[in-house]
Amino acid sequence: MKILIVEDDQPAAEVMARGLLDAGHACTLCPDGLVGLEAARRGSFDVMIVDRMMPCLDGVGLVETLRRDGDETPVLFLSALGEIEDRVTGLRAGADDYLVKPYAFAELIARVEALARRRETGSVLTFLRVGDLEMDLIGRKVQRAGREIDLQPREFQLLEFLMRHAGQAVTRTMLLEKVWEYHFDPQTNVIDVHISRLRSKIDKGFEHPMLETIRGAGYRLDA
Amino acid sequence: MGQGTGWMPEAPAPPTGSFLRLFRAAPFRLTLLTLALFAFAGAVLMAYVYMAAAGEARRRTDADIRREADSLVAVYNRSGPAALNPVLVTRMAGERRFVYLFLAPDGAKITGSLAQSPVENFTGAATWVRFSLAGQGAAGRPQSIPARGLQLRLSGGETLFVGADASDDRDFIVTIVRGLWGAGALLVVLGIAVGLQASRNFTRAMTGLTDVVAAARNGNLAARAPVRGAGDELDQLAEGLNDMLDRLDRSMSAHRHAGDAIAHDLRSPLTRLKARLETALLDAEAGRGDARLALGQALDDTDGVLRTFSAVLSISRLQAAGEAPNAVRFDPAAMVRDMTELYGPLCEDKGLEIASDISAGLAVRGNPAFLAQALANLVDNAVKYTPAGGAIRVRLRRMASSEVEISVTDTGPGVATADRDRVVQRFVRLENSRNLPGVGLGLSLVAAVAEAHGGRFELGDGPGVFDGSGPGLRAAVVLPSAP
Repeated sequence: MKILIVEDDQPAAEVMARGLLDAGHACTLCPDGLVGLEAARRGSFDVMIVDRMMPCLDGVGLVETLRRDGDETPVLFLSALGEIEDRVTGLRAGADDYLVKPYAFAELIARVEALARRRETGSVLTFLRVGDLEMDLIGRKVQRAGREIDLQPREFQLLEFLMRHAGQAVTRTMLLEKVWEYHFDPQTNVIDVHISRLRSKIDKGFEHPMLETIRGAGYRLDA
Repeated sequence: MGQGTGWMPEAPAPPTGSFLRLFRAAPFRLTLLTLALFAFAGAVLMAYVYMAAAGEARRRTDADIRREADSLVAVYNRSGPAALNPVLVTRMAGERRFVYLFLAPDGAKITGSLAQSPVENFTGAATWVRFSLAGQGAAGRPQSIPARGLQLRLSGGETLFVGADASDDRDFIVTIVRGLWGAGALLVVLGIAVGLQASRNFTRAMTGLTDVVAAARNGNLAARAPVRGAGDELDQLAEGLNDMLDRLDRSMSAHRHAGDAIAHDLRSPLTRLKARLETALLDAEAGRGDARLALGQALDDTDGVLRTFSAVLSISRLQAAGEAPNAVRFDPAAMVRDMTELYGPLCEDKGLEIASDISAGLAVRGNPAFLAQALANLVDNAVKYTPAGGAIRVRLRRMASSEVEISVTDTGPGVATADRDRVVQRFVRLENSRNLPGVGLGLSLVAAVAEAHGGRFELGDGPGVFDGSGPGLRAAVVLPSAP
C-alpha cells in the first residue's frame, strides 16, 4: 500500500514511516502542506496521513484543495487538537478519519488499513465471510461452520465491523466510534466485556478461536 | 509568566521631562485645539462688535449734525438769512464741536468756519459727506481729524453746511478694540492654564492606569489601578482594568493549580514508568526477565499518562470556552439508552443490576458527545464503587423545576456529605479509592460538562442503607430544558 505522510515534525514522521514500512507499506514523506499537495497531485496514493497544523499550507487547506480537484484518496488527519469541534472541522474539510496526538501506533495502523480497505470494498456488500464464519447482512443471520449463532443487535454490529476489517487490528476507541457512534475514551474495560460476550458466542465449541486480543492495540478477527 | 520570559515587547520609554510629558498629554493638545477654535470665533465676534460699534457711533454723530442743522434751518425759516448769520457767528464763537459754512445763492461765502464746502458737485438735495478737519494733536502737531458733514439748500437759495468732529467715534472704537484684544489675550491665557491643569489631572489618572498595565506586562497581576470615585470614563476604565486583572489572576491561578495537580498526578505514573524501564534494561542486560512483559506494562503506564492529559485538556477547554461546542437541540433519551446498554455486559459480569428509567419527549441543548461522555463517566464510577449484588439505575426525567435531569443512582457506599464538594475537584480521590484505576478526573469532567451546558452537577444520597450495603450515591447532571 502506498502511503503519503504530510507531517512537519520530522522525527515523528520518520518513526511513523518506519512502523508503516515494517507493516509492509511504502511511505513518502513531505515536510509541509505545499510539498504534500504537489506530491499528492503527482503520485497516486492509497491513503494519506496529514498533520493538521503545518507551515505553508495547513492540513485543512490541503485536503479542501484536493477534494475540490476531485481527488478522493482517503485522508487520515493527525492533530494535537482533540476536541469535538476540531474533529468536526477536520471531517467537514473532507478528511475520512481523525486521530489525536499522541496516539498508539497500533491505532494509527488500524485506522490507515481500515481506510484503505473501505475504498477497496465499498459498502454495498450483502454477505460477509471470514473463514468459516458467515454473515448475511440482509437476513441479519450469522453462521459458523453451518451452525447458526444468535446475536443481539449490538453484537451483530460489532461482528459486522470486525468482519469488514478482518485480519486488521481494531482498537477500543474505533469500536466505540464506529459501532456505538460515540467518540470518547472509555475509562474501564467496558468494550472488552462486549468483545468477550461476542467471543463466547462465535468461538465457543470451536477448536480455532477467531477473535483474538492484541496487547496494547485492541482486537483482531482472523480466519 | 515570570520576569525572564523574554518574549514580550519592551515598553516604550516614557518621555523624560515632565513638561514635555504634559505637553504631549492628550487633554493639553485638545485644549490647544479648542483654544484655536475659540480664537477664531473670538476674532469673528470682535469684527462684528467693531462694525456694530462703528456704525452706532456714526449714527450718533449724524443725529447730532441733523439736529444742529434743523435748529439753524428753523431760525432761517422763521427770521430769514439776516437772522441766521448772527446765530452762526455766536455758535462759532461758543460751540467748538460743529463747523459751519453759510453761502449766498451765488456761492459766495457769507459766513462760516470753513474756507470752502467739502461737498463737490452739490445738486441741491441734502448731502452727507465725510471729510477731514485740520486740527492739533496732543503734542500740538498738526493733525487730520475725521469729520462728517451735511449740506442743505435753504428756501431762499442759500447753502448751509454743518459739520462735526467725528474723532470721538474713533476714540470710542479704539477703546472697544483695545478691550476686545485684552479679552482675547485673557481668553488665551486662561485657556492654557485650564488646559495645563486638566492635562495634569488626566496625566495623573493615566499614570495610575499605565503603571498597572506596565506591572501586568511584567508579570505582576497584583497591582490595581486607583479608582478616584469621580465616576467618569477614566474611573470606568480603571474599574474595567481591575476587573480584567481579577479575572486574569483567577484564571492564572486556576491554571497554576491545574499545572500543580497535573504534575502531582503525572509524577507517580512517570516515576513508575521510568523505574520499570530501568529495571527492564538491567534485566535485559543480565539476560533475565521478560522484556516484552516489561515493555507491555510500560505501554499501559503511558496510556494512563495520556488519558490523564486528555481528560485535563477536555476540562480546561470546556472551562475556558464556558459553553458547549457545536451545541444542538436533541432528545437525550437515545443517548441514555445507549450508555445503559454499553455498560450492561460490564455490570452483569460484576454482578450488578443495571436498569434505566427514561422519560420520552424531553429536549436539551448541548453537545451529545460531551454529555454521553459525562454520563459514561457517571456509570463508570457507579460500576467501580458498587460492590457485587448492588444495583445501578440510570434515569432521565423532567424535574418539577422543568429542568432535565440525567442521573445515575447506585447502592454503593456513597460519598459522605462533607466530601461531596471535594470529589468534584480535579484529581481528588477519596482515601478508600486509591487502589482503583482511574485518575480522579471523571467527576471533574462531568461537572465541567454540566457547567458548560448551563446546568449543574449534583451529588446526593442514594436509596439508603439496606442489607449491609448503601447508602448509595445519586449523581446527577441537571440541564436547562431546551425550548
